[in-house]
Amino acid sequence: MYVLQQLVNGICQGSIYALMAIGYALIFGVVGLVTFTYGEIIMLGAFSAFYYFIVFGDNLILSLLCGFVVAGLVGIVVHKVCYQRFLDAPRYISLIATIGMSMFIKNLAIIVFGSTMKGLPLFFEGQNLVIAERTIDGVRQQLSLTYLQVVVIVTVVVLSIALTLFLNKTRIGMRLRAVSQDRKAAALVGVNVKNTTLLGNCIGCGFGGIAGILLGLYYNSIIPTMGGVAGLKAFSAVVIGGLSNIAGAAIGGISIGIVENLGIAFIPNGSGYRDVYAFLFLIIALVIKPEGLFSRRTGTV
Amino acid sequence: MSIRKLPVLVMIVSLLLVSATIWAGGQNEADGAQADGSAPIKIGVAAPITGNWAEYGLGFEVATAMAAEEINAAGGINGRSVELVVMDSKGDAKEATAIARQFSDDDDILAVVGDFSSTCCMAAAPIYEEAGLVQISPTASNPNYAGLNEYMFGVMGVQSAEGPFVGEYLLGNYVGAERVAVVYLNNDWGVAAKTFLIETAKEIGIDVVAEENHVDGEKDFTALLTKIQQSNPDTICLVTFYNECAIIANQVAQMNWDVQLTALGPGASEQIIELGGANVEGFLTSTPFFATNDGVSRASAFKTDFESRAGFTLNVHSACAYDALNMVAEAMRNSDVLSRESVRDELAGMKGFEGVTGPIEFQPAGDIVRKYLIVGIEDGKWVQMTDYSYAE
Repeated sequence: MYVLQQLVNGICQGSIYALMAIGYALIFGVVGLVTFTYGEIIMLGAFSAFYYFIVFGDNLILSLLCGFVVAGLVGIVVHKVCYQRFLDAPRYISLIATIGMSMFIKNLAIIVFGSTMKGLPLFFEGQNLVIAERTIDGVRQQLSLTYLQVVVIVTVVVLSIALTLFLNKTRIGMRLRAVSQDRKAAALVGVNVKNTTLLGNCIGCGFGGIAGILLGLYYNSIIPTMGGVAGLKAFSAVVIGGLSNIAGAAIGGISIGIVENLGIAFIPNGSGYRDVYAFLFLIIALVIKPEGLFSRRTGTV
Repeated sequence: MSIRKLPVLVMIVSLLLVSATIWAGGQNEADGAQADGSAPIKIGVAAPITGNWAEYGLGFEVATAMAAEEINAAGGINGRSVELVVMDSKGDAKEATAIARQFSDDDDILAVVGDFSSTCCMAAAPIYEEAGLVQISPTASNPNYAGLNEYMFGVMGVQSAEGPFVGEYLLGNYVGAERVAVVYLNNDWGVAAKTFLIETAKEIGIDVVAEENHVDGEKDFTALLTKIQQSNPDTICLVTFYNECAIIANQVAQMNWDVQLTALGPGASEQIIELGGANVEGFLTSTPFFATNDGVSRASAFKTDFESRAGFTLNVHSACAYDALNMVAEAMRNSDVLSRESVRDELAGMKGFEGVTGPIEFQPAGDIVRKYLIVGIEDGKWVQMTDYSYAE
């Protein structure tokens, strides 16, 4: 029962990682570059929801939409500043530009939003979905999902399915995939690579924004420096999943969440080593399969 | 280089030359003023103004500024005004050491008030020792900190006193806890505090059923809480700061878990109420200082003034920062020939200093022993608890 409960905690946390990773994988696919601004996009998404709740009241779905739009718009700015001008330049220039952009956004956020931690409104407070319950030696054990966990998991699943359909069933989605697979070939068959890249980056960032809101809601706290670790976890999940592989990224994210929570559950006094479990898992995964656990092709890095 | 770019280059070079001259001139002016003994006395302030402990850092900034203004309004220190040099350490030991170097290299700085966490203070300690510069921390309470070298002072009171107080009076007498789970922040302060706490708790017969640590900035406590729930504690004692206390309270509520929450460390922090809302009702913590608005006492006047400037409720950490700066000023006033060394000697030998947080007199190591109070949250406000044996 205890193991199952920890597994549920892990899956829920992992699904937020998964959503971040999906966005990251999409960006990596179309842009072809690692980005370091993603953590800050996540943070901006969370803060946009914070202000949305203040101005327009507590509407969960609309706030998610707001986060998507805001993060997407910032994604366009990032694209214009960091990628568009350097498409033909050596790749590290864009990379460095994203690092600079990340520091700029983070410090600007500290100035504008203030450096203290803020709380998002509490949704579904104290409401649980108890699946099973038993008492052993006076200790109550239960397997339950909080409503918030349910909302998080459902949101992530719905968005993942929507993105998969979008990529596979629509013409724009197909263009995105074409650019992701081979920019030059896509250009040769008449795809507008520039706009498609912009769009992919925009959608990817939007996913990051939504993930940021879920992160903020789940922990009821947001702070301008929250993006650093979040961005790293998303990146790890993507690497485990095989870089531009969307499904792989999702599985990578969920498995990181599970590994972290099971590590905490079974190592005595091991709660402080969450990141150790996550990144150890990343290293082991890379040693076993350097191209990513779910990668079908190699040599894109 | 093309001929078209030449004028630009000439402009840049001449600008550089002009600014260099102005800068050099300014330097000379400062040196001149220094010589006749009327230049302001500089005191460094290192605090986590941004980052995870920002509420405390901002409190430092406001409280030290208030103290400096009061000193200057009263005629300064032997006729010289006080100027604060504030730097943001972000709660990061690397930043704290970099700041220590900058302060040490600036000969005008005669003492440093800061930093917030024991970890930062201890990391910076050897650098200050080398420069012979006093670091007086309002808050560092790791029992090893002040003894590191003769230039280190702490005014919060050491953990070897607060840990046992929480164990015996808060958990034992007030709550009457039988099975306690301890969750602590894994840094110098947290480990020291929980060690003393657990020692005392075990001595008086409290069963410590679980012990878990977390790192600074942790947000997800669901796995940790699910784990300690297995050992069925009736009370959780958090040895950590306000952000984590509030997040844990929220996640305990999400789990529908009815358990008494207590803490050592955050003090009567307003952020806890802001972030935790209804979930922190009944939350209890220890604090060496609790100001009430009685309208007469010095602490009450200080509280009113502080809150109108800072925009948030006074916490013990800020009050200690205010006292720390006043102690430094007092030491400077007592110096015959003002130097970094004289500030140290006067601080170490100071008798009868009365701060807003009570009397402060350093032990040989450079730290103090304080008395503690129990405060709790009732109806969204901090109140002082009195119905336990230690209360006066």
